[in-house]
Amino acid sequence: MKQFRKTALLALTLGLGLTAVSAPAAAQAPTEITFWTWYLSPKFDPYIKQTIAAFEKANPTIKVKWFDKQDSMVQDFIASVNLGSAPDVVNLNIDETGKAAQNGFLRNVDALTPLATLKSTFYPQTLANFTVGGKVYGYPWYGSLNEGVLLYNPELMTKAGVKAPKNMTELLNMVKTVKDKTGAYAWVPALKDPGGASFLGYFSSDGLPIYDAKGNAAFNSPAHVAILQKYVDLFKGGYFPEDALRKEAFQLATELYAQNRVAMIVGGPQALNRIKDTNPGLYAKTVVTTAPLGKANTQTGTSMGMVIPQASKHPAEAAKLAAFFTNNANQIAFAKIVPIIPTTAAAQNDPFFKVSSNDPIAKATALVGASGRFINPGFKAPGNSDDLYKNFSDNIEAALLGKKTPKAALDDSVKFWNANMKK
Amino acid sequence: MARSQPFNARQPRARYSLRDTLLSYGFLAPALILLTLFTFYPLAYGSYLGFTEYGGARFAQGLAPKWIGLENFRTLAADPLFLTALGNSVKYLVIVPVLQLASLSVAVLVNKNLPGMAFFRAAYYIPVVTSISLAAVMWDWVYNKEGTLNWALGVLHLIPEGSFFGWLNNEQTAFWAVMLVTFWRGFGYYMVLYLAGLQSIPAELEEAAVLDGANSWKRFWSITVPLMKPTILLCSLLSTIAALRVLEEVLVLTNGGPLNSTYTALMYVYSKAFQGFNFDYGLASAAGLVVAVVALLLSVVNFRLFHESDGGEA
Repeated sequence: MKQFRKTALLALTLGLGLTAVSAPAAAQAPTEITFWTWYLSPKFDPYIKQTIAAFEKANPTIKVKWFDKQDSMVQDFIASVNLGSAPDVVNLNIDETGKAAQNGFLRNVDALTPLATLKSTFYPQTLANFTVGGKVYGYPWYGSLNEGVLLYNPELMTKAGVKAPKNMTELLNMVKTVKDKTGAYAWVPALKDPGGASFLGYFSSDGLPIYDAKGNAAFNSPAHVAILQKYVDLFKGGYFPEDALRKEAFQLATELYAQNRVAMIVGGPQALNRIKDTNPGLYAKTVVTTAPLGKANTQTGTSMGMVIPQASKHPAEAAKLAAFFTNNANQIAFAKIVPIIPTTAAAQNDPFFKVSSNDPIAKATALVGASGRFINPGFKAPGNSDDLYKNFSDNIEAALLGKKTPKAALDDSVKFWNANMKK
Repeated sequence: MARSQPFNARQPRARYSLRDTLLSYGFLAPALILLTLFTFYPLAYGSYLGFTEYGGARFAQGLAPKWIGLENFRTLAADPLFLTALGNSVKYLVIVPVLQLASLSVAVLVNKNLPGMAFFRAAYYIPVVTSISLAAVMWDWVYNKEGTLNWALGVLHLIPEGSFFGWLNNEQTAFWAVMLVTFWRGFGYYMVLYLAGLQSIPAELEEAAVLDGANSWKRFWSITVPLMKPTILLCSLLSTIAALRVLEEVLVLTNGGPLNSTYTALMYVYSKAFQGFNFDYGLASAAGLVVAVVALLLSVVNFRLFHESDGGEA
C-alpha cells in the first residue's frame, strides 16, 4: 500500500510538473485567424503583408493566415460557413455586408469593439453605411466616391467648344455637342448594373427619394421619369456607347478614354491609374477638377468594410485585426499607395491630402482623399436586393431599348419592388 | 459485310468463381466510391433539396432543409424569368445538329493522310483549350460595333456603314452570336471524338468497297455512317446536354442580356444558388432538376432516334 502511495504521489508530482512545464507553452501557442481580402492581390501584396506583420508583432499571440479572394468570394464564403471552416475576417462592400447581415451571417461588431471607439474612429456616415437594423456589422475600410472628380481630355473639350461642367445638368446638356463636334462620346454613364441598380444613384444625386415615408419603393414620380427620359433620349440618339448596356461603365469609360473616344470621366482617381498604364501621353495632358454634382449637390460613394462572420471561431482576435487594418494610420498608408479614400475621421486633417501637385493622380487624391465623410450610397439596399436590382435593371434596359416607355418601366419596377421587397 | 455483335444480343451466361467476382468488384470499387461521393450523392441530395426550403437565413443559422413538396416548382412555373430562361435553353438546342454535322464533316476531311493534316487537327482543337475570358475578349472585338464582323460585312457591302451595330447588344442577334461562340468552342472537341471513331473503322472495309467500285459518297453513307453511329449517338448526347447547360459564354459575353434574350436556365440556377447572399439552394436545385429532366427526355429521344434508324440496334 505504501509502495502504491509512493508511486501515485510520484506520478502526481510528475504530472503536475509536466503540466507546469507545458502550460506556458500552451498559453503561448498563437491563435491562428483567417483573413480574406477581395481583389487586392497581387498588386497590393506588399502593403497587406507589411500590415499583417505589424499586427502580428503588436499581437504576438495571434497569427494571421491571409487569402485574397476574387470572383468567387461570396460563393467561397457561403461554402466555408457550410463546411465549418469560416474565415475570421472578411473584406466585403456595403451592399454585400447588408445582404450578409440580413441573412444572419455576420456578428455585429459593436459587440466586439465599443461603439464609442467606433464612433470616434470613423465618420458617422461611413459607420452608418455598415449599420443594419441598428447594429454595426462592419469596420469601414477604404472608400471611393461615385462622382469623385472630373477628369477630361482638354483637346477634345476645346474641339467641342465646351468647358468643364459644374453640375450634372450642364454635363447632360453638353453630351450632344461633344459627340457632334468631335465624334467622341462626352461621357459614359452607368446605365445598367444588375448587381447594384446604379441608375438609382442618379435619382439620389438629384435629391429624389427611392422610398416613401412608409419604406415602399417610390421612384416613379414625374421627376424620376423625366430623368430617365433624358438618358433614354440621349442613348437612342447614339450619344452614349451601346456597350454601356453590357459592360461596366467604369471599365468602358477608361477603355474608351485611353483611345481618345471619350472626353470626360466622372469618378474616382483610380481611373487615372489605368490611363497612366495604357496611354501615358494622354495621362500627362489629362485635367483633373471637381466633379459635377446632381441637384442635391452631394457626393455619393461606397466603401469596403471588414466583417466578422457569425461562424468565426475567434471573434475577439478577428475584431483586433479588423480594427488594426481599418485604423487611421493604416488607411493613410494605403492611400499613399493607391488613391483610395480613408473612412477614418482623422484622415481629413492628414497633411498627405493637403499637398498640391500638377500630377493628375496626386491632384485627384488631394481633391477627394479627405472626403470620406461623403461616402454614402445615397439609399439603403432593400431586402431581397438581388431580385429587385435585377428587375430594376431589366426595366431600365427595356426603356433604353424602346421596349417600354420610361414611365411604364419605372411603374413596373416599383410594382415589383413593393410586391417582393423584404422589409 | 461483317457486322459487330449488337450489345443487346443474348449471350451465353459465363460462370465466374467467387474470387473472380470479388476481384472484379475490387477493381471497380475505387471508381464506384468516387462516383458515389461526387456524382450519385450530390445528384440525390440536389434532387432532395429541390423539394425543400433551404438557403438564406435558414442556412446561416445551421437549420436543416425544410420539406415543402412542390412549392419550388410552383414558384418556377410562375416566374417569367425562369420560363424565358428555360425557353432559351431549349432554343439553344438548335446548335446540336449543326455542330454534329460540321464536326463530323471536318473529321472526315482531316482523317486523310495528307501533309500538314496534323496541324489542322491541332488548330481546330485550340478553341477547346482557350480560356473563356480570353475567348470573350477576342469575340468582343469581333462582335463590337466597330469590330471585325461589321468591318467584313461592310467591305462585302452586306451592311451599309451607317447601320453597324453591336451584335451582342442587339436583342435579335445576341442569342445567335453567343451560340456561334459555343459552336467555335465545341467544334474541335467533337471533331476529335469523331476522328477517333473514324480511325477505329477497319481499313479493309474501305478497301473492299473501293474494289467493289463504290464511290466516296457511297462509302461514306454505307460504311462510315453506320459504323460511326455509336460515336454519333455519344456526341449528340454530349452536345445536347452541353447546350442545355450553357453558362460560361453567356455570363462573360452578355450576362444574359439584352432584355434576357440570352438568359439561360443554368444562369437562373447559378444566380439563385451563388449570386449575392440571398441564395436559395432549394429553388436553384428545383430549377436544376427541371433542366435535368429535360436533358433526360432529350437523351431518350436521341436513343430512340438512333435505335430506330439502325433497325433496332444502336
